[in-house]
Amino acid sequence: MTPIPLTPVGGFLGAGKTTLVNHLLATADRRFGVLVNDFGAIAIDAALIAAHDGGVVSLTNGCVCCETGGDLGAGLAQLATRDPPIDHAIVEASGVGDPWRIAQLALVEPGFSLDPIVVVADALNLERQLAGRWVADTVRGQLLAAEIVVLNKIDLAPDPAGARAALASLCPMAPVVETRNAAVAIGRLSFPVSPRPRFRANPASAHAFPVWHYLPARPFDRARLRAVLAALPRSILRVKGFCRLDGDPAASLLQFAAGQWALSPYGEAPPGLVVIGTPEMPAPPDLVARFDFALLEQ
Amino acid sequence: MPSPIQVFVARRFVTMNRSMPYATHVAVRDGRVLGMGGPEIRDAFGPAGFDDRFAGDIVVPGFVEGHGHAADGLMWRNTYAGYFPRTAPDGTRHAGFKSIAEVVAHLRRAEAAMTDLDRPLVAWGFDPIYFGGPRMTRADLDAISTRRLVVVAHVSGHILNVNGAVLERAGFSADSNLDGLVRDEGGQLTGELRGPAVMGRANRVTGDAGLSRLLDVAALRDFSRLTRRVGVTTSTDLANPLPDESVAALRAATAAEDFPLRLVPALRAREYSVPDGIARVAALRRHNTDKLHFGIAKLVVDGSIQGFSARLRWPGYHNGAPNGLWYVAPAELFGIVEAYHRAGIQLHIHTNGDEASELATEAVARANDAFPRAGHRHTLQHCQMADEAIFQRMRAAGMCVNLFANHIYYWGEQHRALTMGPSRADRLDACATALAVGVKLAIHSDTPVTPVDPLFTMWCAVNRITAEGRVLGEHERITAVEALRAVTLGAAYTVNLDHAVGSIDTGKFADFAVLDRDPLEVPSMEIRDIQVRAIVSGGTVFANA
Repeated sequence: MTPIPLTPVGGFLGAGKTTLVNHLLATADRRFGVLVNDFGAIAIDAALIAAHDGGVVSLTNGCVCCETGGDLGAGLAQLATRDPPIDHAIVEASGVGDPWRIAQLALVEPGFSLDPIVVVADALNLERQLAGRWVADTVRGQLLAAEIVVLNKIDLAPDPAGARAALASLCPMAPVVETRNAAVAIGRLSFPVSPRPRFRANPASAHAFPVWHYLPARPFDRARLRAVLAALPRSILRVKGFCRLDGDPAASLLQFAAGQWALSPYGEAPPGLVVIGTPEMPAPPDLVARFDFALLEQ
Repeated sequence: MPSPIQVFVARRFVTMNRSMPYATHVAVRDGRVLGMGGPEIRDAFGPAGFDDRFAGDIVVPGFVEGHGHAADGLMWRNTYAGYFPRTAPDGTRHAGFKSIAEVVAHLRRAEAAMTDLDRPLVAWGFDPIYFGGPRMTRADLDAISTRRLVVVAHVSGHILNVNGAVLERAGFSADSNLDGLVRDEGGQLTGELRGPAVMGRANRVTGDAGLSRLLDVAALRDFSRLTRRVGVTTSTDLANPLPDESVAALRAATAAEDFPLRLVPALRAREYSVPDGIARVAALRRHNTDKLHFGIAKLVVDGSIQGFSARLRWPGYHNGAPNGLWYVAPAELFGIVEAYHRAGIQLHIHTNGDEASELATEAVARANDAFPRAGHRHTLQHCQMADEAIFQRMRAAGMCVNLFANHIYYWGEQHRALTMGPSRADRLDACATALAVGVKLAIHSDTPVTPVDPLFTMWCAVNRITAEGRVLGEHERITAVEALRAVTLGAAYTVNLDHAVGSIDTGKFADFAVLDRDPLEVPSMEIRDIQVRAIVSGGTVFANA
């Protein structure tokens, strides 16, 4: 079973998260499963759901921030087993939620592959929020987790320079997509899908997220792999794919994001890892050396 | 033909009724108090039966638990593994488990009594902070069973310990590196899981950790066994999503003649959109009876102090932990509070940190300034770190407070050492300041977080002694009579039932707690040792065995 891409959508109350999700549904080119991680405030457009009965929309109440966090994991587990399967999951965080917590669920729950963490920012109000009496640290924390920022309401902001400067300072590595009415295509919020050139960077790295492929020649040594993964720089956003671990007859599925990773037994799968990063990520020879170091000695 | 009159006689009734604070005789008809006074009451209202079984006892108004959870009645279907003594609904007294070895031995006995290997062994209330360092490990729980799923939930709600079978079922391997998977020096998983992501998965693969089940009639009856033993005749259930099944269970349980408890369930407002929640409360009010009182709603603004998820003002957490979490965006809170306020629904707002209390107070003040409503009684629940300025604003806005006095005993040392530090910890649950400012006060247990026992809660507010014996905030101690008011009429006021319960007065329900000693006269350190001999609920006696 191919893991389902999962896009966490965070951002402060009023930034336009729900508008973005509605836009993605209205322009759907695939079967989306949507979870709304908020209490009692579901504003996903019912007409869109009705119009796209090819796409699955599942709504839950539950807040991953607090003690009922298990509900969202349960919602994801249900999405993963939908029949017919969904192509892509979107999880809308609550307006005060930490999008990283949702991303973490995608590592913990089997069957998902974590796409970029999208944080919607309000071009009109961002500066005020970042200086706000009660909300500044919440808004800042959301942006620190961003891998793509959707700077929304750009048409309403008389002078968006301040918002741009704040983003450049808080999340300098995250590409910023400026928009109005949260009208952003899913393609701009996904990691690139590329053919599989081996041992070299994807030449199409004009994209914000360069991709590099690695084919492990032998199984990994567990301790060395742990050391290599723990030492990866922040410019490496994801490592995912299949590998073999010392002594395991079966392949393992590896998913790495933000210094955390899950390695789970997978059965039969040809080895191969995809490494996705920012333009600042290490050059291919450096990456080859790092991952080769994790291989079992011959 | 009028109903029969029953006259109860006691060594002393402490009525909490200002017109007649003490009595020896109380006449009851139709479950309500007809009058009280001296021996002259015996025949004052016509021929009466005479009940002198409490002639040597002290009788106080039945206690009101202003912040409890009826889910306490569900907990006991799992295995208690806590440090402190606790009594089960069936009366079994657990002394508390004083080491990991004692907990494990207890769980092993519980496991041996189980037959179906597919049933998980779930324990609750575990609290290793008093063990001086050692943590429970996977090996401890694997020694109980390597095949059965074993889950031990910490009392904080933020940590689980599990055995290898659960780790395997959840897919947590030592090769993974996920936040919340605790490791030993050798890099192996200890089976300790922290945080909602990994805990949620472990709970789900276990099938049912027992804490998310809906209340049923049996659970409510078990809850009433816990409350009656400690003298409680009215309790909140704060809060409940109140789906139809729960409402049916509440109605069925409270309709039984022998159900010795009035219940006040609060709607968990965030389970509904604002208009739906308001409509739900209005619809539920039609089911109100003498023993079932819908009409209040609950909001949660932040997390817990000991979980470092409460929102604090400067200087933040003493140990430098980052500020906690808003569970609702401030701007959204303003809108929700205003909508419920305008609809005439009383709100019970959970705030632990002082920044959360400040925000919630501001929300109520704004709503009440825009749409003044006398006697709204919106109440901050826990409100553990409020200072005098916050209490002043609460009073000006017409708010009440229900302080978590039990916290002083159970977590006071941790607050002093880790969360608040010395001096700030002294104002934890500042009962004296609240009263001095004139905020209507209740105090509570938050059962099952700490055991329901209003005499113990009184003891905490009066003495402010931590589990290690230290006085925490001597100037915030209150008198026994103030504390007794806070667990009777004060708590009744916060749930809009002060016209019906909380004191012994003509027209009110004949709800009493019968004690072997007078909490206003015993040395203050002995208040928690007073025995509850019986309760009277609506004139019917329920004696403790």
